[in-house]
Amino acid sequence: MEIKKTALAGTTESSDIQITLSKGNDGIDVDLTSDVKKQFGDQIVKVITDTLNKFQITNAKVRAVDKGALDCVIKARTITAASRALNQEDQINWEVL
Amino acid sequence: MQIKNLSLKNKKDLQIWKEFLTEHGISNFSSAEVFKIDETIALFEDQRIVATGSLAGNVLKYIAVESEGSGSEFNSVISQLTNLAAGKGIFHLFVFTKAKYSKSFQFIGFKELAKSDNAALLESGDYLIGDYLAELPRVANQEEKKIAGIVMNANPFTKGHRYLVEKAASENDYVYVFVVSTDASLFNSKERLQLVKEGTADLKNVFVVSGGDYMVSYATFPAYFLTSDQTVIEYQTTLDALIFKNQIAPVLNIQTRFLGEEPFSKTTGIYNRILEKVLPPSVSVKIIPRAKTQSETIITATEVRQLIAKNNLVPLKQFLPFTTIKYVEEHKTELQSRIKKGININGN
Repeated sequence: MEIKKTALAGTTESSDIQITLSKGNDGIDVDLTSDVKKQFGDQIVKVITDTLNKFQITNAKVRAVDKGALDCVIKARTITAASRALNQEDQINWEVL
Repeated sequence: MQIKNLSLKNKKDLQIWKEFLTEHGISNFSSAEVFKIDETIALFEDQRIVATGSLAGNVLKYIAVESEGSGSEFNSVISQLTNLAAGKGIFHLFVFTKAKYSKSFQFIGFKELAKSDNAALLESGDYLIGDYLAELPRVANQEEKKIAGIVMNANPFTKGHRYLVEKAASENDYVYVFVVSTDASLFNSKERLQLVKEGTADLKNVFVVSGGDYMVSYATFPAYFLTSDQTVIEYQTTLDALIFKNQIAPVLNIQTRFLGEEPFSKTTGIYNRILEKVLPPSVSVKIIPRAKTQSETIITATEVRQLIAKNNLVPLKQFLPFTTIKYVEEHKTELQSRIKKGININGN
């Protein structure tokens, strides 16, 4: 699936993550800012990448600003950003995700 | 805690906003600056304002929080502004701030473009300076070539600009001409870029490109477009010069920045002086005296704009290359109607 427009979801408040998703042409490129990058960076990138793959998004630039979000939050914010980026915000199919 | 939108047109809102900012060391409320603000939000606790921030186009401004240790108030304000901007389709944001707050912005994903002793400029979003630079034209073995850069507003492109570009092109292997992209001039950015391209089309070693948000833009150097005092111009031009020196010149291998001598404009005069101070030794600065007409008149775009306003196009021939004259003649009515609508023709 092609990203249709840049989209943003989430905040930079404590326990949240802010995801900005835009067009890319070189796979899924995640730029992560996080205080716990050393400990959980790989895991955060994996959750984002896996979630995007479920949308069949294979090329995207992702900017993620993490403030200690749990995996479920990372997933939820990524889903919202992806739906917005694909112009599908009215038809999210949460169950398959 | 509660987030509210403030309306600066409302006297009461304006007053509490000003009081809060003044308490926190921000006191420039010139109408030129305040007029540019699109959105202002504030965080309240027990009816008392504890944090605020504003959005002007793609620039975050007037950000202050009650207690400096409190990251959460700061993060709420920036988050809210980022989301407001996203709602308008703006994802690439800039912030000018005191140098000591640069780290706070970096914690929430902003990247530092330049930092001087007292100020910093940062950006965040989907299109950053690396993306801008990656889109510019390159040549083979660029790292071995002699390359110069020129930044111009070219409002519009004159024989004076042409002289400057020719000079740089004759002394270098390649020249990048960066045309200011902010739209605040009689000729809009598309027209200015096009006229520079047409006016230099015969010079094969010249690349004419948009300066994007990084060279004399409303983000990096607002004082170029707003009337400002000397200290403001100095710290903004210092950051603009640092971006050119540290982010742009090394990537494109630009060794020399060519400038036109500036006998008239105060703002551009300060800018030239700061560039001479900041850019060397890694980028040398070469100032070229202004070109003159056959009758020894200095060529300026300001004069050209005034002649258009007076509907006196005959003398334009001595100032403009034929490509620009043709455009002006074909679009005379439209340009004059922009002047009537109040666009400033005496500034830059």
